[in-house]
Amino acid sequence: MLFLAMWTGDIMFANAYELIVFILNFIGIYEPINNIFKTLGIEYVLRIIIVFVEIAVLFVFALLTIMFLTWMERKVVAMVQARYGPMVTGPRGLLQPVMDGVKLIGKEDIIPAKADRWVFTLAPFLVFIPALLIFIPLPFGESLIISDLNVGLLYIIAISAVSPIAILLAGWASNNKYSLMGAMRAVAQDISYTIPLALSAIAIVLFTGSLSTVDIVTAQNGTWFGFIPKWFIFLQPLGFILFLIASIAEMGRIPFDFQESEQELVAGFFTEYSGMKFAMFFLAEYAHLFSVSAIVVTLFLGGWSFPYISLLPAALVPLVSLGVFLVKTYAVIFFAMWLRDTVPRVRIDQLLNLGWKIMIPLALLNLLVTGFLLTVGVF
Amino acid sequence: MAWITKNWGMVGIIKGLIVTMKHILRVGNRPTVTVQYPYQKMKVSPRFRGLHAVDEDACIGCGICEVNCPNGTIQIVKHKTRWYPQVNIGMCLFCGLCVDVCPMNAMKMTGNYELADYTRESLVYGPDRLLFNKEVKQ
Repeated sequence: MLFLAMWTGDIMFANAYELIVFILNFIGIYEPINNIFKTLGIEYVLRIIIVFVEIAVLFVFALLTIMFLTWMERKVVAMVQARYGPMVTGPRGLLQPVMDGVKLIGKEDIIPAKADRWVFTLAPFLVFIPALLIFIPLPFGESLIISDLNVGLLYIIAISAVSPIAILLAGWASNNKYSLMGAMRAVAQDISYTIPLALSAIAIVLFTGSLSTVDIVTAQNGTWFGFIPKWFIFLQPLGFILFLIASIAEMGRIPFDFQESEQELVAGFFTEYSGMKFAMFFLAEYAHLFSVSAIVVTLFLGGWSFPYISLLPAALVPLVSLGVFLVKTYAVIFFAMWLRDTVPRVRIDQLLNLGWKIMIPLALLNLLVTGFLLTVGVF
Repeated sequence: MAWITKNWGMVGIIKGLIVTMKHILRVGNRPTVTVQYPYQKMKVSPRFRGLHAVDEDACIGCGICEVNCPNGTIQIVKHKTRWYPQVNIGMCLFCGLCVDVCPMNAMKMTGNYELADYTRESLVYGPDRLLFNKEVKQ
């Protein structure tokens, strides 16, 4: 009976916790375990265990994704430059990130003599942990979300605004002029590009009336005329372009990689870092790449939704929607890598001119037109 | 009116994206040009200047190569009753002057470029490692 209900019924859960409880119920082991804890008087322990399990699954997934994004990046660059890329470790070099990790763990952890030791050690964690925290309100699929915050979008923008502070700490604590200059450039860039990023996200919120990422995805469910998916990219083409450029600038990838411009600043703010601390900066960069691409997908490309996904059996929807979400996210990531291999870096004055003189007025114009059209009632 | 002349269509970037996409998809004649070096090696040109080789029968031990070497790489040493050059490859700059000046065309350069070694002593290539015998080879 339960199986039939799961196959045909309309089941949708608020978050992954309820999905796990449902699956445990379905197998029939939730009640006995819960009873054991209840007789001991500590039924909250089961809740804590389930939450820890889902967070562990998310972080393992995130770390594996990040590791293999480095492999993907090297392969895409190699294809563009008519090279092979990593080929030796594992099939097609697939185990290269594992070997890189082993190498970085084995390296000496050097702290410069005149560095601020406590801040120098703290900064990599302050960069890495927010990069992982962004994953929490991301809808990976239908009912596959750690926590559906009602301020999800605000949370994402706020958390990603922590990283410039940590970068500035890293650059300052290194006691090195290149690190400090890279950090200051990174902060200037992050601050000037967070504004158009937030402004074009607000235009989306005008449509949905909610900051929750799940509501934003649900609003994009369905089609126009039966074949055009109701994604916000078609309603907000200018907003999409602005958001994409601003988010690539936020990531600090090549057309805008002022934080670590190799030709000028050695390696920018992580010049002095080595070993595991360097690995944390490196992983945070790719975590940022994944999460920002996932946000672009959630806001503009329909998230996990797909035309006619509701025709599928309900039990399959979480898995299929996870697949759809990952395919879209990897497409955006591939675009970022493709752009990185194509264009050179802009100058720092061009970057700030683009941010303040072009993108912010355009984002404001986009917001104005969207608000006007919504008030008039065109959409 | 400066903003009108700005490249708003981003034509250059889009053209560049198309070129790189052609490379990714291998459209047209865009093969992978690098080789997997330790496992695969590129063919070296016959004119490549690598490790020296000395024809055992042609060399008369005259020492003209020793005189002409700009780095003092070559020394004439005794080997089995006759005199032959000995090359310290660590000092050699692979200019090929020794090959050019050899009156008997006994000195040659091979395509062997993997000459890294662990000690300075093993970089000195004596006649025992340089000599080759035309008759035996053919």
